Amino acid sequence: LTFFFLWVCTMQHVEALEVLLQGLSGVPKERVRVHELCLKSVPMLGAVPSEVRLLCDLAQPTPSWTIRHVGGAMRGAGAEQISILVRTIVESKASSNVLRYFYGIGYKLDHEILKVGFAFRFQRGAQFTVTVTSANKMPKLHATDEAVQVTPGIQLVEITAPAAANNYNDVVSAVTSFCEYLAPLLHLSKPGNSTGIVPTAGAAAASLMSSGGAKTL
Amino acid sequence: GISHCPARRPAPCEDSRVKTPPSPLLAGAPPTRRHGPRQVVPCSRLSPSPLSSHGAQPPAHPVSAFPRRRLMHWHPNPGVTLNTQILSEACGCAESLGGTKDGRWKTSIIFYRPMTRDGAGGAQQNLPPDVPRELLGVALHERPGLYFSILRNQRLVLQADAAFSQVMEKLQSFKARVNLNFEGFQYQLGDFCLRIGKCVPNNTETLRGIMMEVEYYPLSSIEKSRAIMVDFFDIWQETLAKKSLPGRFIHVESNFAEYGLSDHYSFQHTAVQYATCLQQLMAAVRA
Repeated sequence: LTFFFLWVCTMQHVEALEVLLQGLSGVPKERVRVHELCLKSVPMLGAVPSEVRLLCDLAQPTPSWTIRHVGGAMRGAGAEQISILVRTIVESKASSNVLRYFYGIGYKLDHEILKVGFAFRFQRGAQFTVTVTSANKMPKLHATDEAVQVTPGIQLVEITAPAAANNYNDVVSAVTSFCEYLAPLLHLSKPGNSTGIVPTAGAAAASLMSSGGAKTL
Repeated sequence: GISHCPARRPAPCEDSRVKTPPSPLLAGAPPTRRHGPRQVVPCSRLSPSPLSSHGAQPPAHPVSAFPRRRLMHWHPNPGVTLNTQILSEACGCAESLGGTKDGRWKTSIIFYRPMTRDGAGGAQQNLPPDVPRELLGVALHERPGLYFSILRNQRLVLQADAAFSQVMEKLQSFKARVNLNFEGFQYQLGDFCLRIGKCVPNNTETLRGIMMEVEYYPLSSIEKSRAIMVDFFDIWQETLAKKSLPGRFIHVESNFAEYGLSDHYSFQHTAVQYATCLQQLMAAVRA
């Protein structure tokens, strides 16, 4: 199963977005605290240089690990028609010695970040996971307790939905329609096309906060 | 026939105490099928240790309780070539001991080799010396959703999902080169399960080895089940000896502690045993 990862730009009105997502999803938010380690292959290893991410979920009582490979941006005629950047991801759960494993096969730590925020998981034409996090860097290796925000006030919104070859179009269509609901607060675009900040976002946010999301935007 | 251990299946958290003495294992009673589907508690892959201790493989979660298994490979007498008759004879033995055939099984081991910029298997001398020249992937027959990868030089066994092999394909740092299947029939003998099989490269019939797995359901402690396994093996060897086959089954201990594995048996132990067994098979064929 290949996961489609839709990269979204940063936004500022996180509380309003939370209200909006709560209303759209109908599910409670989940806490997110993920230590993301980005590893790169040593020189000469591999037909091409490669990168792999190890995610350690620190929100649960027992940390759990996931291996994530993020593919290149989708290209071709289909890609042109979609207004957002789509990347494929493949993930696997792994035992806690996964970092030692990748070090052992010729990968080195390139950088690490701690992502803190919230997520909503819900079904809406596809199985959505919308994650809103701030990126935090660590002053010392693996010092997650000492992490500080890289860009205070700016959050990263990521939307993922699993898809296979036989339902890919349906999933993309479901995600594209869902993103329209987020338009009042954030503008989804490909890098280089837009700043990502919606001029009316401030007003939309204020409206959401005052009505608790019940009012349609 | 086989006498059986207490009817009640042990709860996941406890090891059963064997009420019947380890020998005689086999008595005149008719064979008993295992009671219902095996109650396997999913082994937690999670570690309670923080990232700072990622250097050591943590012990298995205490509530995991997997039946103990022992792998044995067929060691032919010097100068004797391997043939499938040994397989048939071993299966016949299992049946003569009262075993009931319970379907087929297949475990695969995949050899990965590092890729370099020069292309497939090219100038590997350009690779840093600490990049392993080989990785093993293990896909166990009863857990198609899991995938294990073993770094022998570092005594490391990784447990992951089946998607792991897709990750490796995407990374293109290591390429799957050889796929070996261990496959055959399995037999239920009371509290034991026997899997007798051949080792063949994928999509061929070239016999590379013969091996068997003995699984003992009631106990997951390696230490506590050792005596029972040895007793069973003695009976098995005695029965097989009557066939005067040109070789014998040998069990080579895997050093689980070196891999950071605990006394509580798990799928990771089985993956490590397959790697050991394969090494033995290859050495036996070369000898």
